[in-house]
Amino acid sequence: MKTKNIEKIIQPGTPHFVGDGFRVHNFIPSNIRMKRMDPFIMMDYNETYNFPPTDKPKGVGVHPHRGFETVTIAYKGKIEHADSAGGGGIIGEGDVQWMTAASGVLHKEFHETEWSKTGGEFQMVQLWVNLPAKHKMSPPKYQAITHKQLTKVALPNNVGHVEVIAGNYNDNIGPATTFSPINLYNLKLNKGAVTQLSFPANYNTALVTIQGYVNINSKNTVKQDHLVLFDNVGETFTINALEDATVLVLSGEPIQEPIAAYGPFVMNNQQELVQAFEDFNTGKFGYLEE
Amino acid sequence: MKLSNFATHLTTKCGLSAAQLQQVLPHIKTKKIAKGEYLLKQGEVCSHFFFVEQGLLRMYALNEEGKENILQFATENWIVSDRGSVYFQEPSSYYIDAVENTQVILLNDSFITQVANINPDFRKKNEQLLHNHIRQLYKRISQLLGASAKSRYLDFVRMYPDIMLRVPQWMIASYLGITPESLSRVRKALAKENFKPNS
Repeated sequence: MKTKNIEKIIQPGTPHFVGDGFRVHNFIPSNIRMKRMDPFIMMDYNETYNFPPTDKPKGVGVHPHRGFETVTIAYKGKIEHADSAGGGGIIGEGDVQWMTAASGVLHKEFHETEWSKTGGEFQMVQLWVNLPAKHKMSPPKYQAITHKQLTKVALPNNVGHVEVIAGNYNDNIGPATTFSPINLYNLKLNKGAVTQLSFPANYNTALVTIQGYVNINSKNTVKQDHLVLFDNVGETFTINALEDATVLVLSGEPIQEPIAAYGPFVMNNQQELVQAFEDFNTGKFGYLEE
Repeated sequence: MKLSNFATHLTTKCGLSAAQLQQVLPHIKTKKIAKGEYLLKQGEVCSHFFFVEQGLLRMYALNEEGKENILQFATENWIVSDRGSVYFQEPSSYYIDAVENTQVILLNDSFITQVANINPDFRKKNEQLLHNHIRQLYKRISQLLGASAKSRYLDFVRMYPDIMLRVPQWMIASYLGITPESLSRVRKALAKENFKPNS
């Protein structure tokens, strides 16, 4: 198999606040356009940030989504959420929430009430995963995946382990079901660990250094909080942890359908976007108290 | 300087050719204002019409209790101004400020004359826009006097489809002349009527 080389290493840009609770660097689509990372069409990365204690939880108020899935991975801190279909819950440290917005939901996300009272370090990733046209108007659903439920695979020689969120790692299947082929893992590597990953060449593939710094393919050293975009030529790349490291790996088969996106709606054409606004404005996404 | 919306306005709405557009470009004056900054304050004489290239403006009056009553929102491709103040050169009763970071094109009579010298139809197009504006104002007055909160809201979102995602609810309630609680009730009732979970 050929080596998958690095196309680009992206450093975190100027952060901005989403609501008042998420201080994020946007990697996709600010640095990598939607089509280039298809099916991953948005990635906000909240690097570790210290929130002071408060009685009024910070976060994002009621907003809609249609046409895709939101995947929230909490590394530090806790998030509380609620939606117009009556769903809700808490995303704890290490947990993953895979929300299929599909035909449309209203939801809100805040730091968890009790966590807010003490505050502390907060770190998370939110990904938007596009849906194939035929699933964009499916009923919304949730997959609340706790850290315990993630498929954990030990790496040889006790150098660390892989947490499979979705997809397949050496025939170990992650708990999240997806609408198109996607692999999403957390690599937990001890200092000095060397491991290889392989994905089909045409899959759009990237990694984020959540903690620690690593070397890729014995060529490039990547600092913490950076995103590495791989080319679509080879299949295999090597990661060498230069200190204890957590690396989020994402790889997916491009859906290769037209994208029409405006704010929280991602559809296939302009007409569907107009419809999304009309449906949202006329209550077809339901109602959720602020 | 990116002027894609205004350039499109001149070519598709006002009928300028590509060559005429090139002649007009040097005459265009733009201004950037940050969220919260003002283009007009009560007591000032308004000097321009503002075409929103990017961003969102609102025009409002303060009532006797100091409460804001929003007369108009202007998103991309909208024109907002105190036209009375511009035309009669009298102090304005209104405020125009930016709800988002905004870039505007400054329009005034001398600009209209300059463009009309290049394309004589331009003056007529501007008159048409003015009359359309008056038509909308009559409709708005009539709605404020007689329409239900629900029908005001539905007409509003037809006119500004993306605004619910861009401005806080209390501003929308202010524009509609209803309380935020009443706006909430309207939206709740619409959801009850139209929300079909899992369909």
